[in-house]
Amino acid sequence: MSKKEAKSNFSKFKQFSCATLLTVALSIPVASISVSAAETSIAIPKDSLNSVMWDFMAKEHLLTDKNSKKIVMNSQILVHTPKVAEDQLNLPVHVDARSVKNAQKIVVIADLNPIPKVLTYEPKQAEARLSFRIKVGQATPIRAAVLDKDGVWHVGGTYVDASGGGCSQPAVAYGNDDWVKRLAEIRGQIWRKPGQEATRLRFSIRHPMDTGLADGIPAFFIEKLEFKGAKGNLLGNLYISEPLSENPTVTLFPILKEATTAVNIKGRDNEGNLIDVAVPAPFQSSALEN
Amino acid sequence: MDKVRRSLLIGGASSLALPILAAPFSSLNAAPLKYNLKAQRIANNSYVVIGKTEDYSPENGGDIVNVAFIDTSDGVVLIDTGSSRRYGEALKELIYKTTGKDVIRVYNTHFHPDHCLGNQLFDKKKIAALPQTIKGLKESGEDFSSNLYRILGDWMRGTEVIIPERAINYSSEKFGKHRFEMLPFKGHTDADLAILDHETGVLYAGDICFLDRAATTPHADLEKWHKSLKEIKKIPHKIIIPGHGPADTTSRSIDQTDTYLTWLEENLTKSVKSGKDMIEAAQMPIPEKFQSIDVIKLEIERSVAHLYPKFEEKSLPFLGQGEN
Ligand SMILES: [Zn+2]
Repeated sequence: MSKKEAKSNFSKFKQFSCATLLTVALSIPVASISVSAAETSIAIPKDSLNSVMWDFMAKEHLLTDKNSKKIVMNSQILVHTPKVAEDQLNLPVHVDARSVKNAQKIVVIADLNPIPKVLTYEPKQAEARLSFRIKVGQATPIRAAVLDKDGVWHVGGTYVDASGGGCSQPAVAYGNDDWVKRLAEIRGQIWRKPGQEATRLRFSIRHPMDTGLADGIPAFFIEKLEFKGAKGNLLGNLYISEPLSENPTVTLFPILKEATTAVNIKGRDNEGNLIDVAVPAPFQSSALEN
Repeated sequence: MDKVRRSLLIGGASSLALPILAAPFSSLNAAPLKYNLKAQRIANNSYVVIGKTEDYSPENGGDIVNVAFIDTSDGVVLIDTGSSRRYGEALKELIYKTTGKDVIRVYNTHFHPDHCLGNQLFDKKKIAALPQTIKGLKESGEDFSSNLYRILGDWMRGTEVIIPERAINYSSEKFGKHRFEMLPFKGHTDADLAILDHETGVLYAGDICFLDRAATTPHADLEKWHKSLKEIKKIPHKIIIPGHGPADTTSRSIDQTDTYLTWLEENLTKSVKSGKDMIEAAQMPIPEKFQSIDVIKLEIERSVAHLYPKFEEKSLPFLGQGEN
């Protein structure tokens, strides 16, 4: 993709995000009738966030998992966000599901986004906890659903208002003319707090993460990232959808037993660009507070 | 979405078909909204209208900015115009009541909407701004305005973005006895105009200076901002009018803005270096000396959103690049 193309893609996303998200979002319930995701006998509990989209979200994104046996609302699943999205292209989200024993996967959903599903995280040798930033088109519930080993979905969430100035914020990444040259540049670091098994991995990948929803603009986004320890042991898988912010910046909490282990990140975007990088062994830091 | 809401407001629709849009507009059916503006005399022929040290809200209607006017024998010189057409109206009325004269020159100190969406009430040929301010307002004015319609609702009724037609490429202008020196700075935005009135010694600092109200950073370059504060401190003056906060006779607004931004920067750097994400970084403890600064908690959270990615890029080690 040429620089020019990509740039215009981006400005179209901006337009899209400010002007047409509402229409797209409102059209989803209509679509749901024709989709009729797997009719099931599993009861969908009442939504603590009172979203009109909840039933559809549960059917479409949770109950389609063949391991699903039950859904419960669980206020111990913590989803931290600012009350208001200051920058609608970069809303920070921190999900903490450490209270769930044997968490198999964490699905993050923004109900009223045109593409509601943000990501699926499968922590293998890692804490059930992560943070990242997302695009939101309007005020929306943001929820995390955590599937445990017994097939129970534990659902928590919060509501984010998007009237704080998102559309007026200029994008950072595309202000730079050399962004194509810098596509898939990776930065990152691991920290370990003395005495703790779980480390903290933060990384950032330069990528436009185009949604593909605007007319004639192809989706262009990172689809999957895989995290492995030095012995090839799988630490976790991250399946990403379009609403993750451009230049995805993610924090994970892998459990690294050996003090000197690096983490390997492997992945790809939907156009076949490959990501393969090693994050050096943890930096011992007492400055880290949590 | 914004355009939908706006056209509904401009058209004066009182019942909205889409329930999802209805909430912010409860004010539509309420009594007409009115700003209660007061002129405070700060020097010979010189007045300020001090805004509330708050964030935009449907309660304050965007009356959150300082506006100043100077009564010269040639006519009135106005510095900034407020957040809405309605604010501009109230301001024009107040100016006429106070001076009995018309406005002959308007300055927009920078392109933020609280400083220039009252422009509509004044002759655009007489509105002057730095070239980068004019460019910025052309690019972002509509987005700003849409956003304020969304937050402020009916307060914004009929507000349109008016682009200043007079680019400031001169160093001073004289009206009556008052010589106004144009002082172009940078840092809060790409172009921040401060104005020194040599007749009175009043320094109108725009948003380069905040006082007892946390500085905002949506378009900030902290390094340039610090440099500007250093320079502005050298300019002899009797009183500073910050963009937000009370009139300042002790240069406290310069020092407070500088100290606050330094502290903010140090904390953002520390947070990135210790592996914190944005949510964690926004919880930085606020030191005693800043406790009395209004909306500081909110502005820290907003500043993290504006600035954190830049700090991450600076601090997170480069590891490699993907292949295609
Ligand atoms: Zn400003």
